[in-house]
Amino acid sequence: MSRQITLDNVSKFYGEVLGVNRVNLSIPPGITSLVGPNGAGKTTLMNLMTGLIQPSRGTIRILGHSTDEPEKLFKLVGYSTQFDSFPKGLTGYQFLYLYLKLFGYDSRHADELAWRAIERANLTEAADRKVAAYSKGMRQRIRLAQSLAHNPRVLILDEPLNGLDPLARAEMIAMFRSLAAEGCHVILSSHILHEVDIISDQVILLSNGYVVAEGQIQDVRNEIRDEPAQILIRCDNQRQLASKLIESGLAIEVRMHQDGRGLLIKTADADHFYLALNRLVQGGLDVESVIPADDDVNSVYEYLIGTEGAAV
Amino acid sequence: MTRTWLAQILAVIRLEVKKTFFAKRGLWIYLLAFMPLALFVAHAIAIEYHHEARERLASRNQKPLSYQDLTSISKGMSRKEVIERLGKPPSSHSWDESEQDESGHSHVVANELYRYSDGASDLAIQFEDGTVTGTSLRESEGLGEDAVVFAGVFQFFYLRLAIFFGCLGIFMNLFRGELVDKSLHFYFLAPIRRDLLMVAKYFAGLLAATVIFVTSEALQFIALCWSFDSTVLNSYLYHGHGLAHLAAYLGITALACIGYGSLFLAAGLWFRNPILPAAVILIWEALNPFLPSVLQKISVIYYLKSLCPVEIPASPGTPAIFAMLISNPEPIAAPVAILGVILVSVAILVLSSRRVRRMEINYTTE
Repeated sequence: MSRQITLDNVSKFYGEVLGVNRVNLSIPPGITSLVGPNGAGKTTLMNLMTGLIQPSRGTIRILGHSTDEPEKLFKLVGYSTQFDSFPKGLTGYQFLYLYLKLFGYDSRHADELAWRAIERANLTEAADRKVAAYSKGMRQRIRLAQSLAHNPRVLILDEPLNGLDPLARAEMIAMFRSLAAEGCHVILSSHILHEVDIISDQVILLSNGYVVAEGQIQDVRNEIRDEPAQILIRCDNQRQLASKLIESGLAIEVRMHQDGRGLLIKTADADHFYLALNRLVQGGLDVESVIPADDDVNSVYEYLIGTEGAAV
Repeated sequence: MTRTWLAQILAVIRLEVKKTFFAKRGLWIYLLAFMPLALFVAHAIAIEYHHEARERLASRNQKPLSYQDLTSISKGMSRKEVIERLGKPPSSHSWDESEQDESGHSHVVANELYRYSDGASDLAIQFEDGTVTGTSLRESEGLGEDAVVFAGVFQFFYLRLAIFFGCLGIFMNLFRGELVDKSLHFYFLAPIRRDLLMVAKYFAGLLAATVIFVTSEALQFIALCWSFDSTVLNSYLYHGHGLAHLAAYLGITALACIGYGSLFLAAGLWFRNPILPAAVILIWEALNPFLPSVLQKISVIYYLKSLCPVEIPASPGTPAIFAMLISNPEPIAAPVAILGVILVSVAILVLSSRRVRRMEINYTTE
């Protein structure tokens, strides 16, 4: 069985309106974040991957399975949608139990899995309350529990951290990491870029229905050659280092960092800069650290997509 | 595989049946289904009341009377002759009226009204100045006549309107209702074949519709029989066609749910607004008698009408258009009719399964 999720030249149009266009992706196991402003096509891509909508063109394979075979697909895939509606009149437990019964599980097995998912989502006390009476955060958690309940190998999560308090966010992130470490695919979308930065093994940047970049964030950053790399150097003698950098022509721009304890340098060729920096500091400068300052999602997002939504 | 499918179908039915039976928005379906029951219960109560009133009247007769005694009274007989034949009236009423003759002189007319009963029928006799001027014999309500009324209500209200619109309410909501509620993704995120989901939902709807409408139909039949004495009932149920008719009505009701259910489930998959398909299907079904025979077969009512056990007689003054609705010029054999409904339903479900496999969740367009 294939271990990849592949999208081959996938397009989706809603009449005249573009959802996503010519998407080619191969997603390995690990945590993959879909990043992009509202309307970029993140949810469309997730709905396509789960067969809730059909591509206008192209093919999608999830671990080798087509998305128009839900009977096979959803044994492997769990999807936490952004749809905030539930079958009427059900408690949290009933919601999960009946969902698991749809898998054809017997009552005992469905009951066990439902309680396990409830515990993982930290909803034990609220399990017998009607879902309609849940808070936004609890509804988010019951959706996460639903997506996890049958122990899928692929988790697709649309804005999974929305509405969660900081503790629950931390718990969820830890759980995503643990699932990724077990070899699962965790594909999530998020607006919160610093969280994406912390948890993602790879990112897919979307804008206006197109994939503008994909891969590990450093690799993506390295591909952006028309934007000078930013490097933060912390050392004991910032003035001396600054003058040496300008004299050598290695830096395009040198300025003091906001905290006053380092230099923020812009350079056109980062690889050459790192090699030359070793020679430059041999004359008695004590360099504490050299850190890339713009290989995070936020910077990459800003370079590729612009500032619309990057400040979240 | 079959075991898993069965478990999945049962899981869907469990969820759907609960929703269908207890949905607030389905309350009108119960009202529609049980409206004829209210009619027949009211009719039974009225019959019971009349029956008791006649028995009370008969118990006060001077002598026991037979039906022949009641019918022997005719116009022109004198009060004395009437009393000789029937005895003193158990109920009478008298009043005077002033009338003008041809010459313009007024005189007083002594009016009397006598009522007699043999316990089953009652006779009202009107006298003017001691001479019978009119009689009115109200015979006991016959089961035969009521059975024809029952057949009429069944064909023209229950089958064509109550079950039709009830199925519309139940089956169109199976998919369309969930799209409106934005909850269909609950099913679409489970590892269940879409066509299997459709079949399971159809069975759930069928179960609900059949229970509601068959129960109402059975209760209507009980209400029809309720006010008649055991001799009449025994003769109707066991020596006549009563039980066979009941079985036919229940069977036709179930078949109507099968046929209209499949139609409206399909309509719910293709149309957003239920009014349009409902109107088209209603008109198509109503026009059935006027269509060429090939087209007649593409309907549900064509088959159901052939199965109806009681022919409704068209009275002489019936307009041609209604006479066409009543008549069934080419009745088909019962097995063919049953098979016809089932085949039409299966064909619709097969087409619907293709639709449901390509169905998308796009709540924003709802």
